[in-house]
Amino acid sequence: MPERRPKLISDEFIPEIRSRVITLDNQDYLLQNDAMYTFYERSMGELSPFFLAIKNEREILGCKCSRCGIVRVPPMLTHCPDCEFAPTELIEVGQVGKMNTTPPITYFATSMFLDKAPFGRGRVILEGADTALSVMLYTTTGILVPGLIKKGAEVKVIFRNERVGQISDIYCVPISELTPEQIAKKGLQESELNWETPKEPQFPKPNDKDIANFKKCLEEMQALAAKMSQSKRARKAIEGWERNIAVKTKAGEFAMYINNGDFRIEEKKISSPDLVMACEDPTTLLNGLMYKGAITDSVIMKRLWISKNLEFNTIFKLDRMARFLVMEQKEKAAK
Amino acid sequence: MAKRVGIVGAAITPFRGRWYQKTYYELAQMATREAIADAAISIKDVDSVFYGIYNDIFERACIPEHPLQGILGMQNKFGIRISNGGATGAYTLSAAHAYLAGERFKTALVLGVEKATDCFDFASMSATPEVIKTIAWSGDTFFEQNIGWSASDSYAEVVLGYMDEYPGTLKPEITAQISALLSQQAKTNPYAQRQFDQVTPEEVMNSRYIVYPFKELEICVYSEGAAALILAEEETAKAIAKNSGKPIIWITGLGEANEHSFAGKNQKDMSHIVSDYLGAHRAYEMAGIKDPTKSVQIVELHDAFIHQLEISMAEFGLVPYQTVDSLIEDGLMLPGGKYLVNPCGGLAYCGHAVGASNIMSAWSARKELTKRKLKTALVHGTGSTISQYTACAILEHE
Repeated sequence: MPERRPKLISDEFIPEIRSRVITLDNQDYLLQNDAMYTFYERSMGELSPFFLAIKNEREILGCKCSRCGIVRVPPMLTHCPDCEFAPTELIEVGQVGKMNTTPPITYFATSMFLDKAPFGRGRVILEGADTALSVMLYTTTGILVPGLIKKGAEVKVIFRNERVGQISDIYCVPISELTPEQIAKKGLQESELNWETPKEPQFPKPNDKDIANFKKCLEEMQALAAKMSQSKRARKAIEGWERNIAVKTKAGEFAMYINNGDFRIEEKKISSPDLVMACEDPTTLLNGLMYKGAITDSVIMKRLWISKNLEFNTIFKLDRMARFLVMEQKEKAAK
Repeated sequence: MAKRVGIVGAAITPFRGRWYQKTYYELAQMATREAIADAAISIKDVDSVFYGIYNDIFERACIPEHPLQGILGMQNKFGIRISNGGATGAYTLSAAHAYLAGERFKTALVLGVEKATDCFDFASMSATPEVIKTIAWSGDTFFEQNIGWSASDSYAEVVLGYMDEYPGTLKPEITAQISALLSQQAKTNPYAQRQFDQVTPEEVMNSRYIVYPFKELEICVYSEGAAALILAEEETAKAIAKNSGKPIIWITGLGEANEHSFAGKNQKDMSHIVSDYLGAHRAYEMAGIKDPTKSVQIVELHDAFIHQLEISMAEFGLVPYQTVDSLIEDGLMLPGGKYLVNPCGGLAYCGHAVGASNIMSAWSARKELTKRKLKTALVHGTGSTISQYTACAILEHE
């Protein structure tokens, strides 16, 4: 489970004071690093009991209309707009509920959530509630994949151990991954869950066919990498990006080097890579680089293992390189 | 009795992934200059300006429209900004119409502009994560921003809700074919960001997941650009049209609706885009359209996501909910089919310069109505969290 950052804005997000010039059609244009920021000490006002209950009591509160009886979670109002603004009262609701709809899964997140992807976010109607609470969704079994959580699936609220009184203090997991005791327990914390740690896959010994396939794939990938390094568009996809990647397959290991627009592949082992990829058949990776099926999807569908989820970012860049190379070729043909 | 209001001039700038060469000042003036020229009038003839700018953070300023008043030659005249999420442009058109129909002014400039991709994430060294973060500040500030809300995952919720309600619809091969079709339509739009990015259905299906169930080639692209319309009340419109020699495209219907932003009982129905239903049907009622399937010929639809394009077509009453894939399967939106949908390539291929997008759609609808000698077009904008906002306009060519 990704940890919270200790500061509101981590240092890696903050650029230096700098400018640069790009030249287009023989004209220079200036680009300046800049930021627009505001800090807050936010008032939680009438929402304070809801967030304090999460933080201190590990409870979820809703508000019940004194006239129509509807129970809204989250309790975002004090008077019911459906009943001429009759007053509502705060009540505690259950910590197990059903998904209102099948939840989406974010693989490509905003810059603030790149280190938390992939994650689900959907709406759960908790026991005793009539409306849906928006929650993050995780699985304890690794990467969340389509079909794992659907409409009507029962999920349980999990409380982070370190809570600050925000909605991100909680998330949900499917109850199918919990013991009956965990399901029944009120205020279940994430440290009480059994999180599976993804392990690097081990492959059987290769046969001659595997070895021949490895050599063929490697040659094709090296040729593609050379083309990408010469493509203006493809280079843009890895502009400013540096990664040394070890790729392990059944029949051998090779290295991919991304270096600010340059991309090369060599048959060698690297000792301390930024990222390790493992796939039994290198054709998986070759197809991705050839724009015949996304590498991202290979990771999601567990055909390709990566050592760090945060490095999804690098995977996206590889996919973009493949797309940009094809786009450039098509544009040249069209023009 | 409200005055009739028509479009007498229109222009857009090229939509681009990034305009290094121009700020939003110049983009706004560029579209305005062209629209004025299209209407063959002087900026001095324009009484009022309505700005469609979605997001302050994109332009890196609160009140980003204030410098434009003078830059556009509108000093000392009426100016108002509309900001309604993705539906900003369509709502801006609606607001301008109301002022003219109410006889406050004779002419109006409707100007949409957005400069989105100056946003840059220095950690991943790419623009997109920061652009979508900027949009993610639009999520509910207490309950959603902190848990990864994004425009994509918010619309994906509604799409998945629809698929739960109508299983077997929005098939991947259908959304892939629609995306490929739009890419072909963009080919003849010289202003399109992806004019030469024709894709095959297979490429769409093979593109990577961004947010399940959306793949990369089923999502609109972020753009920078501007779009402008010149609106006039009836007598003034006729005089302008007589002088310019261009037909008047009348705005005969408008409809808007903003849904609840929370889901559940008495709140948002996650399996539908009720705002699209209400917006379109209110516009039909105002225009006197009894059966839209017999009247609407062109649809310029805010296709933020291809799946949502299909749902919106169903909400407009142009195709049944259960058989929405007949848009392709029965050829309803294929070349020569019943509806011409997003001839400009839509927001997916022409581009999505948010405040300018729906105004670009109106520009395209006007162009196609005139060129093809058709009568009725529907222009649509959707936006905010879980497809909450909608504004629709009916444009008619006499």
